[in-house]
Amino acid sequence: MSLLECRGLTKKWGALVAVSKVDIAVSAGEVVALIGPNGAGKSTVFDLIAGTTQKTSGTVAFRNEHVEGLSAAALTRRGMGRTYQITSLFPSLTVLENVRLAVQSCEPRRAYPLFSRLLLERTTEEALKWLHRVRLREHANTLAGLLSHGDQRLTEIAVALAMNPKLLLLDEPTQGMSVEETRGTVELLKSLLKDTDMAVLLVEHDLEVVFGLAHRIVVLDRGRKIADGLPAAVRADPGVQQAYLGAGHVAH
Amino acid sequence: MKYAFPLFSVLALAPLVLPGFHVTLLTEILIFALFAMSLDVQVGYARMFSFGHAAPYGVGAYVAAFALSSGNLPLPGAVLVAVIAVFILAIPIGWLCTRASGVAFAMLTLAFAQLAHAVIFKWNGLTGGSDGISGLLRNHGPWGFAGLESRQGYYWFTLAIVVGSAFLASKFVRSPMGTAIVAVRENEKRAVAIGYEPRRLRLAAFVISNTWAGLAGALHAGFLLFVSPELLHWTLSGYVIVAVVLGGAGTLIGPMIGATLMVVGGHQLSAVADSWPLFMGLLFIVVVVAAPNGLWGIKSSIANAIAVRKAGRLEVDHVAS
Amino acid sequence: MGSSQVWLNLTLNTLALASLLAMLTIGLTLIFGIMRIMNFAHGALYMLGAYSGIAAAQLLGNFWIGLLAAPLAAAAFGSIFEYTLLRRLYRRDGGSFLLVTFGLSLVLTEAIRLIFGPNTRDVDLPSVLSGVVWFGDEPYPAYRIFLIALGIVVLASLAFVFLRTRLGLLIRAIAQNAEMTHALGIDVQLIRSLTFAVGCAFAGLGGYLAVPLITGYIGMGGAAIIDAFVIVMIGGMGSFFGSAAGSLLVALTQTFGNYYLPDFALVATYLLMICVLLCRPGGLFGEQE
Repeated sequence: MSLLECRGLTKKWGALVAVSKVDIAVSAGEVVALIGPNGAGKSTVFDLIAGTTQKTSGTVAFRNEHVEGLSAAALTRRGMGRTYQITSLFPSLTVLENVRLAVQSCEPRRAYPLFSRLLLERTTEEALKWLHRVRLREHANTLAGLLSHGDQRLTEIAVALAMNPKLLLLDEPTQGMSVEETRGTVELLKSLLKDTDMAVLLVEHDLEVVFGLAHRIVVLDRGRKIADGLPAAVRADPGVQQAYLGAGHVAH
Repeated sequence: MKYAFPLFSVLALAPLVLPGFHVTLLTEILIFALFAMSLDVQVGYARMFSFGHAAPYGVGAYVAAFALSSGNLPLPGAVLVAVIAVFILAIPIGWLCTRASGVAFAMLTLAFAQLAHAVIFKWNGLTGGSDGISGLLRNHGPWGFAGLESRQGYYWFTLAIVVGSAFLASKFVRSPMGTAIVAVRENEKRAVAIGYEPRRLRLAAFVISNTWAGLAGALHAGFLLFVSPELLHWTLSGYVIVAVVLGGAGTLIGPMIGATLMVVGGHQLSAVADSWPLFMGLLFIVVVVAAPNGLWGIKSSIANAIAVRKAGRLEVDHVAS
Repeated sequence: MGSSQVWLNLTLNTLALASLLAMLTIGLTLIFGIMRIMNFAHGALYMLGAYSGIAAAQLLGNFWIGLLAAPLAAAAFGSIFEYTLLRRLYRRDGGSFLLVTFGLSLVLTEAIRLIFGPNTRDVDLPSVLSGVVWFGDEPYPAYRIFLIALGIVVLASLAFVFLRTRLGLLIRAIAQNAEMTHALGIDVQLIRSLTFAVGCAFAGLGGYLAVPLITGYIGMGGAAIIDAFVIVMIGGMGSFFGSAAGSLLVALTQTFGNYYLPDFALVATYLLMICVLLCRPGGLFGEQE
């Protein structure tokens, strides 16, 4: 059984079928990208899995447990971490404190040891480790709201990673980044994912990022799954090229 | 705070050179500063606008007064009893008030404070009604804290408690719980998503803030040796909010400065102009509209601007060389 | 005095007090509904209305002039305040409004004290209002009957404007969704300012009408604003009918409470509010969150 198993996911907004009978499975250690032209329904699928939108029918199983209808907090506790398309940090706390809050929330007694020096030191150390890994160590004491957009996205990733998720949902991680920042982020994500069994489900419309990172690609078009396979196979698929024709160009 | 130690030394040595009435004024400032700092935990860090902060202050003062008069406890014991009583009361009341947020929270705290005021005002037999309780003594107790009886002794006692509280509070707001409280203020949805429970954190902020106010109230009772229902009146709740916002909410030190300004202004200006509240109200409006971070915020932004200019100049020098 | 006469007396007193309270709170709730502002200065405007009404009435020797001057003065002052200060704050949260209007109430109260002095002030009633009305063989002050009648007229005409006119429709629309109303090409700002002015006018009127009962004193604004807050929270913030019902409920508690359990009347009012808020956090007629 896979880590994440979605069967027959369907979402209707009134008469409009946004997502129709989509099956997606993600195994441990796997990086799966969800792509498709604009309006294909990839964000909706993402929201259905993350629990921010209620599905019309279908099932979502995470670690062999049905998780439909669980709150974001409950999903987080079960090991599903996510980043947000629109940066969602605590702007007047420092970068370090942002990450520390995430580390701290995995502690059995999250916030309550009032003056526990031990907890503070341990979580700070752990948070610094994550900041080091996303190369934001030197910004540890900067207020998150004052960071550049790219660095805020990285902080967002560090916050998600700091909770040691089994599955990380990345919602357009390079959105709004410059070409250079995007490349840096792809390299960074690659190195972060190298030796871990964390799985990643990625929604992204920059195909360079997708082909750089994904082990497997799921293609949606008008709410239906039209392809699911290795990057090379998906790239060669005539149906996929058809779907993208005119809407853009498949990566070279 | 690099100025903390020098400031503390000056304050500690002040009674040796100052005339008595100045020592009294300083004691009053310290107590009001502690009161304002306690509210800042709610208003500044959790953004919970309590309009009933006079309630824990007044209840703390009354409990201390009972402990001194009927209980015959030594002064530090009376203060301790008051703090514990306010802490215990704050838990259920906070649990009820934190069901609401925003303006509704402000109104609920106001209602509870008015309720406490009405009870104390009407319960003649216990509280002395509108006359209050006077003629309290700073009891020595078995260990004989005779030193507290003098004006200077009480000042040092207050100073030690206020400085200790300020130190603890500055630790608290940077502690795991303090950061989590700020996180809820900043982005509640996200804080929930990563596993925090806003209501519990708000309740914690409420109880801690109220308990500290109770401590300030107990110190007030020991200072004036007189308590009256005025201590729970909503105007006092209003004044302490003014002190917090005027000084700069969310900084701890700002509200203490705001409180100092208000006590000094109240004493010095009303003697001259007879219109201190008018002046204070105008200043307050200007600060809320034009400088939401308060006087301490203005100071910080000036300091920042200077730092940025210095940094800019260094960069220019660097390029030039 | 027989018990039925006591009841008649208490009921009429309740209605008279409810009229006064309604005039005070309807402005507050209208303003909250349309602007999402809890106006702490409402009590100070009530006091401003009382003092300027008294001044006008004494100047011209006519009680009825005050009835005109009080709402005008409060509305004028409120509008200046809204125009110069509140508009700068629309992008901030509710807390800032509470703070800045609290500051204004301090300033206004103090200014009135400096201008009019600390003594209480009264106004002479015209002969038609200073007499008594006979219910059977039971005398009752005519002024209170006048208050009840005026309260009913004011509430009825406000309800009419609110439910049956285009202006009322716009006010309700803005309370529901200001952005949408703005998108329909309505001058939301103008209607907000107008509502604010009208709300202040009612506060001023209420203040002046209260003078023959409680006399004008420094601090009447503070007492009034607390009552008004309690009523608005009980009725539901922004709910017109909630305020009317809340006024009646609080008047009932205070009047009957003062007669039967004088020591508990005050406590009962606050307990009432706390109970309502704990059972229905949005108030009796408000939107529940």
